[in-house]
Amino acid sequence: MQWPLSYHEKKRLVQLGIVLTLAAWITADALSGGAAHWHRVWMRLPLLLTGSGDGWPLTGGFVLNIFLGLGSMALAAVLGTLLAFGMMAKSRLVRLPCFFIMNFLRNSPWIVLLFAMLYIIPFNVRLFGVSIAVPAFAKALIGLALPTGANFAEIIRGAVQSIHSGQWEAARALGYMPMAIYGRIILPQALRRMIPGWMNLYALLMIATSLATVTGIQDVVTTLNTLLSMENERVIVYFYITTLFLFFAYCYPIALLARRMEQSVKGDAL
Amino acid sequence: MFGLDYSWLSDPVYQGWLLRGTLNTIALALTSSAIAVLIGGFGALALTLRIAWLDALIELFVELFRNTPPLLQMLFFYFTLSTIGLRVTDPATGLSVPLLSAFDCALVSLSLFGGALCIEAFRSGLDSLPRAVTEAARSLGYSRWARFRRIEVPIASRICLPALTNILTNLFKTTSQASVITVPELVYYAGQIYNDTFRTAEVMILVLLIYVTLVSLLSWGLSRIERALAFPGYGKGN
Repeated sequence: MQWPLSYHEKKRLVQLGIVLTLAAWITADALSGGAAHWHRVWMRLPLLLTGSGDGWPLTGGFVLNIFLGLGSMALAAVLGTLLAFGMMAKSRLVRLPCFFIMNFLRNSPWIVLLFAMLYIIPFNVRLFGVSIAVPAFAKALIGLALPTGANFAEIIRGAVQSIHSGQWEAARALGYMPMAIYGRIILPQALRRMIPGWMNLYALLMIATSLATVTGIQDVVTTLNTLLSMENERVIVYFYITTLFLFFAYCYPIALLARRMEQSVKGDAL
Repeated sequence: MFGLDYSWLSDPVYQGWLLRGTLNTIALALTSSAIAVLIGGFGALALTLRIAWLDALIELFVELFRNTPPLLQMLFFYFTLSTIGLRVTDPATGLSVPLLSAFDCALVSLSLFGGALCIEAFRSGLDSLPRAVTEAARSLGYSRWARFRRIEVPIASRICLPALTNILTNLFKTTSQASVITVPELVYYAGQIYNDTFRTAEVMILVLLIYVTLVSLLSWGLSRIERALAFPGYGKGN
């Protein structure tokens, strides 16, 4: 490094400084009695991560949040694709209801949708005479997939409509059928623009899985709350910081990667 | 219809609860939005100064609040602010009580969360200004501050209005999570009502409708502002 430091070098230095200060603070805190608190957190970490004291089986905790996020995203992908194509349909009869559903789902709070699913979906579903119990996890899955699906649809629609109309005209002039235009020309180009949006959405969904605590499943927030009822007041701060860090460590790299990709996609406007 | 029973809605007690809950939700949303926009404005302004240490700190703040669940942030503030010393002694009873009520804690966490999102939106708005515009202003002899006030902010604020609409509607929806820390807003009162009446599905559908109406109104209003402020060449004013 050369002496007058550039702006970015200075910033890197300060970031390094922040990390070092944090490390120093944690060390100082550990030396002045915080070590006992950190030890308690360390002892309970397997419980926070997997929902069981030994770290196995993976039935709860942060792992359950990850499962919930992945499952909801898969469900949202199906729902969102259907909604998106519905919104881009030529027929008004298909388009308007899809727009209405999308706006309804996007404008309602996630936690209220979760609550609504919790109470609207019955505890038992009778299918062909067989009664199947619906677990709270399935309700959380559906409750989170609904708003995510609406956002998913918006990303698809935005990306497809951002493809230059010249592409449509050229494809039509070359004699492609409408479905072939979608499948061979528009979607391959639009896909590149959708991926950063999907990654952002996934990070958002992962953050929202913390809301699933209201359905009573043993996710990380529920585990944390049960844990904290047995701990003293001072340790609570350490537990919260640890849990917040779990989410940060999982979501930040995804969001960062999404932003990088967004920058690289920005160029191909036409 | 569909076997739903809304007869409880005629009870003035429940009507009062719904109204109070809605008003509290709106109050929480408006106050936190206002503070969030202020934080965003000052944060973005500070970022334009390009002071390395300040930028690093602001970036840390933004990333921390953007990548952690607002629900956990709220719980964190609610449970730890009083532990780390924000307490006062109640003169009436002599007991030590938290300085900030649940509502205040929700307000603090929502404002910071929204503020972090706003900083990012305003920054990208300022970044997306074409270089030619600032260069033209400089060649016309505008000072740094005048250029910021008369050229950059008027254009950038219009560019980031759609992002701001997203953030404010998102913030409005996030207020519903304050019910978890016992802030008496709409979802909280909804819980009270269905605990009383056992009409859970009906109450939740009504609450969903109230939220969708309020958020739709908000985003409609903001898009009206967006259209009124648009000028040719930027945003929607093509």
